Amino acid sequence: MFFTSVSRDTGTSISRTRTVSRAQPTPVKLRKLLEGVSLWLLVALFLSLHPVYAEATERGEETAGALYFGEPGSRGEQATLLSADYQVTVSGLIAETRLRQSFSNAGQNWREAIYVFPLPEQASVYSLKMRAGERVIEGEIQTRQEAATQYETAKAESRQAATVAQERPNLFTTRLANIPPGEEITVEIRYQQAVRYQSGEFELRLPTTLTPRYMPGAPQVADAPDNWRQGWAMPTTQVADADAISPFTVLPDDLPPGSHQASISLELYTGLPIASVLSPSHSLQSTWDGDTVRVTPTEGAVPMNRDMIVRWLPVRGEAPSAAVFHERWQGEDYLLALLVPGVERGGRLARELVFVIDTSGSMAGESIRQAQAALMRGLDTLGPDDTFNIIQFSHSARSLFPSAHPASAPNLNQAQAYVRGLTADGGTEMAPALARALAAGKERSGRVRQVVFITDGAVGNEAALFQQIEQELGESRLFTVGIGAAPNLHFMREAARFGRGTYTAITDLTTMAKPLEDLFGKMQAPVLTDLSVAWPDDIQSEALPQRPGDLFLGEPLIQVVRGQAAEGKLVMSGRLAGGQNWQQSLDLTSAAPGQGLHRYWARQKINGLLDRSVVTKAAGESPSGTRTEDQVTELGLKYQLVTPYTSFVAVDKTPRREADEPLDAEPVPTLLPKGSAPAMLRYPQTATGAPALMMTGALGGLLCGLLALVRRRTRT
Amino acid sequence: MSRCLLTLSLLFGAVFVVGAWIPLKAMLAQELLTLAWAETQARQQPARPWPWADTWPVARLDLGPGTEPLIVLEGVHGESLAFGPGRLAGATREGPIIIAGHRDTHFDALEHLKAGNLLRLQDQAGSWTDYEVTRIRIADSREEGIELDAMAPDSLLLVTCFPFDSLASDGPLRYLVEARVRPPLPLNLASGGGIADAGF
Repeated sequence: MFFTSVSRDTGTSISRTRTVSRAQPTPVKLRKLLEGVSLWLLVALFLSLHPVYAEATERGEETAGALYFGEPGSRGEQATLLSADYQVTVSGLIAETRLRQSFSNAGQNWREAIYVFPLPEQASVYSLKMRAGERVIEGEIQTRQEAATQYETAKAESRQAATVAQERPNLFTTRLANIPPGEEITVEIRYQQAVRYQSGEFELRLPTTLTPRYMPGAPQVADAPDNWRQGWAMPTTQVADADAISPFTVLPDDLPPGSHQASISLELYTGLPIASVLSPSHSLQSTWDGDTVRVTPTEGAVPMNRDMIVRWLPVRGEAPSAAVFHERWQGEDYLLALLVPGVERGGRLARELVFVIDTSGSMAGESIRQAQAALMRGLDTLGPDDTFNIIQFSHSARSLFPSAHPASAPNLNQAQAYVRGLTADGGTEMAPALARALAAGKERSGRVRQVVFITDGAVGNEAALFQQIEQELGESRLFTVGIGAAPNLHFMREAARFGRGTYTAITDLTTMAKPLEDLFGKMQAPVLTDLSVAWPDDIQSEALPQRPGDLFLGEPLIQVVRGQAAEGKLVMSGRLAGGQNWQQSLDLTSAAPGQGLHRYWARQKINGLLDRSVVTKAAGESPSGTRTEDQVTELGLKYQLVTPYTSFVAVDKTPRREADEPLDAEPVPTLLPKGSAPAMLRYPQTATGAPALMMTGALGGLLCGLLALVRRRTRT
Repeated sequence: MSRCLLTLSLLFGAVFVVGAWIPLKAMLAQELLTLAWAETQARQQPARPWPWADTWPVARLDLGPGTEPLIVLEGVHGESLAFGPGRLAGATREGPIIIAGHRDTHFDALEHLKAGNLLRLQDQAGSWTDYEVTRIRIADSREEGIELDAMAPDSLLLVTCFPFDSLASDGPLRYLVEARVRPPLPLNLASGGGIADAGF
């Protein structure tokens, strides 16, 4: 062995230099003895010093084991540090958020930070500012292509630049070029989202991280080199942009201290007296000031490893059953109307329930336990007239029974045992499971057919799945249940919308009872179908969503419209489960002033256009594809929104970096959602400084020995 | 002058010993860990090798003939890797197993492994699983991560730094040994002459 031989050599050379340096003629025996003694003394000295040294090295070794974004040959520089600041203002049904992402460069080189981050599904990003020291640069909306070009040009010309682009409706990328060493640049994004109102309770979700998604399909090896992002999933045949939507996910210990912390504050101006503010995810501190409530997490900065959920309840008896907001923007009227149909719970209907449970690898850990508990609860709600089946899927789909069986005691016992035995493993191939769940619905059984889909939605091929749901749905209704600390809400909600059902999110085992009770209660309750909405000015084409889905107990009907003045009456009608007609009207003159309605409308419009292109593409009517892109681009530019085809870009005028200084690109990782097992990990650091230290010691010792020899030669 | 030389040589000696202590500690720690592993197996619950340790033995890994079996610790942070190879946190019992170790201490023997070699892993219950090395490759940690979803659930991945004789402790290259569970041999073959003689 290399080390042992060296150690013997230098061991003696050290002791020799010691004895030699006394410069006394000693007998050989004595010298040998001294050599031995001094060697042992050294070892003893070292062992006694070891505790002190160990403390020092443990730290050294920790840094060696920690996961840094090193460049070849450098001393493992630390990653770009990230902190986020969310300031949310809720007025009425719209929440506006100012999100500041600060990237500080702790390294020696100039850096480019690339950060993929989640926003609430349906978020409309409408402003970008870049702050570097005193300078503030306003971003402009451009077509995606143009924004990318401007950004790349600025980057190449050593100017500071920032851009925000949309990868998925709930997934965005910030790129920030030329961060000077030791400095911090802040990217300020403003976005708005709709507040969810259901069963008398308002809810707002702030996602801070994302569950790594499964990318079905075979890798597209042909164009891999171009599309490689450092360490990210490769594009596959079904998910062409897999690399752009799968950043590294890391554990908190793998990050430099202080990175990935978010400070969050909310202000609720709802116009209603608020009774209580709750969060199933974080502990909150709320202060009341009239009708306004300020909310912050008790612990101050929170790690960005799970979604923050805030719910607030109006004072008892004041839960609104209708609301109208009005805004004038660029000479046009925008109206947002909300109506809770006052429908009472009716009689039971015989149902066929199909539970589909995701047992893929991304569900491992806490998630699968939540899913199992949710499924158990679902089984409990089955009545004696109902039939049911359970389908589990990972790489492939398997079902408990070949077809739906009656909910008899032996069948239920068998199902419970089956559910308890589920383990999470493998890929997330949803398509076969969906096909199996929806296939039986094609023939009419006289029952209400409901599919409960329990998953974390960690897939990249959402569009293809929406197509499939739209095509195969038949008479079934699809209900999605989102599991885990950071489910893919975009998928959940849209799948439920295409499936004409609802989605429910559960975050942990202790608080899952209420949302599930609501869901299963709702599924037993009668539904309001064939909804239609009549506006006084007869502008149906500008009202969104165009085709309102079915309504369940406690759910409001929400419509947003352009070009409708705040006068007249809005009439909504539909059909109850029993077949009777239902109608209700809403007076528009009582509209309260609202904010951001035009953006909400534009976002709905864009979603509608994109949904339609998904469906028409599936039907083979592709020529409208390019027109959709033009329409969306036009809307994005007019309403200043980030869309799949428009991005914000902020570019500095003056170069900051000397042309010969290098620029390192660095993907900023996201934290692994709390409680889930990691799917993509960084390689750990697996070498010690031992060889280098021993080499230095040995060489130095040899040198000293040589010097001593030379000195003795010259003296004698 | 001679005092200066003495100081210098002591200094270099100290540096050397500091360096030599790392592999020495790695070797000594394995002895202590063997005790902790025995205790873990006896009690069927994780036992910390020393009271202040923030890691504990989770498995025993046999890299083949000519090597002592290594006690695998939980986690891949600096402290666990200093004492033994570490199991990457999160690798559950059902999924693939990933073990990382320092190339200059415990995992120096990885260099001599070849495809087809036999690896054995002992779990807490004391039963050994046989793995067969399927592939050895070198990865650039700047360009790829470990994708658990893409790995077979019965696979074992050993990770160490590459190249083996490099002095830099923070290089980006990783040496990966991929292995899969070897199916149990048919009875007549296994009883005929053991694994080594069975022609593998």
